[in-house]
Amino acid sequence: MKAMPTLEGGLRIDTENAADWEVLRAIVSDANSSGIDLASRLGGMISEEAGAQDWEDFVVPDLREAFQDELAEVGASIESAIFQAEEGPGPIWITREDVSAWYSALNQARLAIEDRYSFGAGDSISPEGLTPSRRSAFVRSRFYCAIQGMLLQHVMR
Amino acid sequence: MAKSDTLTRTDEQTELDVPWNVVVHDDPVNLMQYVTFVLMKIFGYTQKKAAVLMMQVHQQGRSIVWSGEREKAEFYVQQLQAHQLKTTLEKAK
Repeated sequence: MKAMPTLEGGLRIDTENAADWEVLRAIVSDANSSGIDLASRLGGMISEEAGAQDWEDFVVPDLREAFQDELAEVGASIESAIFQAEEGPGPIWITREDVSAWYSALNQARLAIEDRYSFGAGDSISPEGLTPSRRSAFVRSRFYCAIQGMLLQHVMR
Repeated sequence: MAKSDTLTRTDEQTELDVPWNVVVHDDPVNLMQYVTFVLMKIFGYTQKKAAVLMMQVHQQGRSIVWSGEREKAEFYVQQLQAHQLKTTLEKAK
């Protein structure tokens, strides 16, 4: 898989095989893999004094819906690109218009992986010492992080 | 004064409303550049100010990024959480 900035200020990701598409599909499944969804985890940080119950009742549902909408948008883009490429090698574009949804989806995926596996900053982790499922999650998390870095540098300026 | 008259006394007390702090907490996932970007976008801070607050989050584990009236503080917390930053609301001491 290769990723590069486009002249229009977006990002183009070129997949080389079906496995690459599966990695992109994993963004959505990873984001939904945590036991407690992100909106609830964030809402759970609000103290009683600050109005935890109201937050849970009125803010968390909106956050949950927004996060799911962003995942759905990215998931649809990925499926559309896979269809266009007939599951073979092919490109997918992230434009300035949809960069927020992509950044959010990648972040949701990384936050959910962190919630499950607690890799921390990950700088000192050696993938060789991890079990296959943890190693796979770790590598995906690093890949998502690399794409986020490119989005910040080239698209979200 | 007749027996049926009512004596009315009004007491007024005025005190300053306690400000509320919007606090961003460190987490191992959100990229430092992203935290700076979000603080600039939501509060309109300069890059320099946002970067200072981001470094506080990173080095001290938390940073008060805004203080003021509760309603506005709630709005900012909601905005920051929508950008997936770990954010809380607390009464200023």
